[in-house]
Amino acid sequence: MSLYLDQIRAIIWKDLLLELRTRERIAAMGAFAVLAGVLFNYSLDQARVAPQDVAAGLIWMTLVFGGLLGVGRTFYLEAQDGAMEGVLMSPAPKDAVYLGKTLANFALLFPVALLILGVFWLFFGLDLGSNPGILVLALGLGALGFVALSTLFAAVSSGTHMGETLLPILVFPLLVPMVVYGVGVTGRIMVGRPVEEVLGNVRLLAAFALVALAAGAVLFRFVVED
Amino acid sequence: MELATESAPAAEATQTVIEARALVREYGPVVAVDGIDLALGEGEFLAIFGPNGAGKSSLLGMLGGALRPTSGEVRIRGVPLDFSAGAWRRRVGVLSHKGFLYAHLTAEENLRFYGRLFGLKDLDSRIPERLARVGLTNRARFEVRQLSHGMRQRLSLARALLHDPDVVLLDEPFTGLDPSAASVLRDVLRELRDGYRTVVMVTHNLSEGLALATRVTIQVEGRLAWEGPTTSLEREGFEGFYHKVVEGRT
Repeated sequence: MSLYLDQIRAIIWKDLLLELRTRERIAAMGAFAVLAGVLFNYSLDQARVAPQDVAAGLIWMTLVFGGLLGVGRTFYLEAQDGAMEGVLMSPAPKDAVYLGKTLANFALLFPVALLILGVFWLFFGLDLGSNPGILVLALGLGALGFVALSTLFAAVSSGTHMGETLLPILVFPLLVPMVVYGVGVTGRIMVGRPVEEVLGNVRLLAAFALVALAAGAVLFRFVVED
Repeated sequence: MELATESAPAAEATQTVIEARALVREYGPVVAVDGIDLALGEGEFLAIFGPNGAGKSSLLGMLGGALRPTSGEVRIRGVPLDFSAGAWRRRVGVLSHKGFLYAHLTAEENLRFYGRLFGLKDLDSRIPERLARVGLTNRARFEVRQLSHGMRQRLSLARALLHDPDVVLLDEPFTGLDPSAASVLRDVLRELRDGYRTVVMVTHNLSEGLALATRVTIQVEGRLAWEGPTTSLEREGFEGFYHKVVEGRT
């Protein structure tokens, strides 16, 4: 078990170190988050549309689109010089490789999710309600479910000639429940509804993330094995 | 020179380390490997020659567990390769024409990463020793993208041997190497052979293959058209013999 955990840690260490050196994905996701917030700010007539009414949907869509920019390239550096082939020829179980890459992607996406929340708070003048912790929890669970699915499908799309362009087509339909639960939590908390009213959706977000992680761990080997 | 197209007498028998039985690999209608049987013992070094498209890399891929055979099986020390388990992969080291290296990690970081995947505990001592063995001690902290092709190839060799595999599989290891890098590679391969490792090398380089190998085989259209020990070969005549076998089959 300790070897299994160390193999997962090795994948996370390697992915985060590569990101630290290249800064490709975090820069793309961060810039997208800020630019999307700015553009949405100017695209809505706030005299007719209350930001509080639409911000939840915009936050989650920014997370999904911005996240795809980063996660979509998760296998790009692996493809260079056949590095992924080397990893797959090591004794590391395929599910450990998947979990390592997924958790590394989560470590990159979660700060971006917080950045998105901050950007919308700044530009839309949002009231984050009396329980911003629940918002952060919901975004964290949503980000985990998102990376669990999109890492798996990034492996699928990286093996096709369509590459990253195929990823949204594959993954968007499966993200509908996550977006529905996430928008439900975010919207209600931001208009000051009690926490008890959103706990069901938070649990559903957690269940979605766990099911996506388990499915990804089981299915990843069928995607990457010859 | 023996011009028989059947297998020459086998080399001195040793305990079988890697064995292929009726190995077949198909890519749609194309049969890349067509029923190959092979058995190699400790200290045996097999060089596989053959024209492009003969299925040499596919054979190597199946021996190393990178490719799943369409039919047939590979055994390492008598145990069939199980793709759902990874323990047997500790016995195999692969040096492909791809380096399996991360360009933005340093030489030392690449080895540390692979060492952790293989569950190696003594990396602090093992990595400097491996880097010294391939002459890259002073490049340990260089990112791979800053290294020359020859240095990358040597680092790939260090990666392939990091976990002391019983079986080493090499796909065109001399391609693009300068004389200095080729010399380092040659020395390491000799050490492996003399240290009773089992080595399979796919190459177009007849002179390197004949100098290092204890057995040679010629693969044509997915089959081993000729196989025999290097002791029975006259090196000067082998090139002509090779062309005769290849052209006679194609």
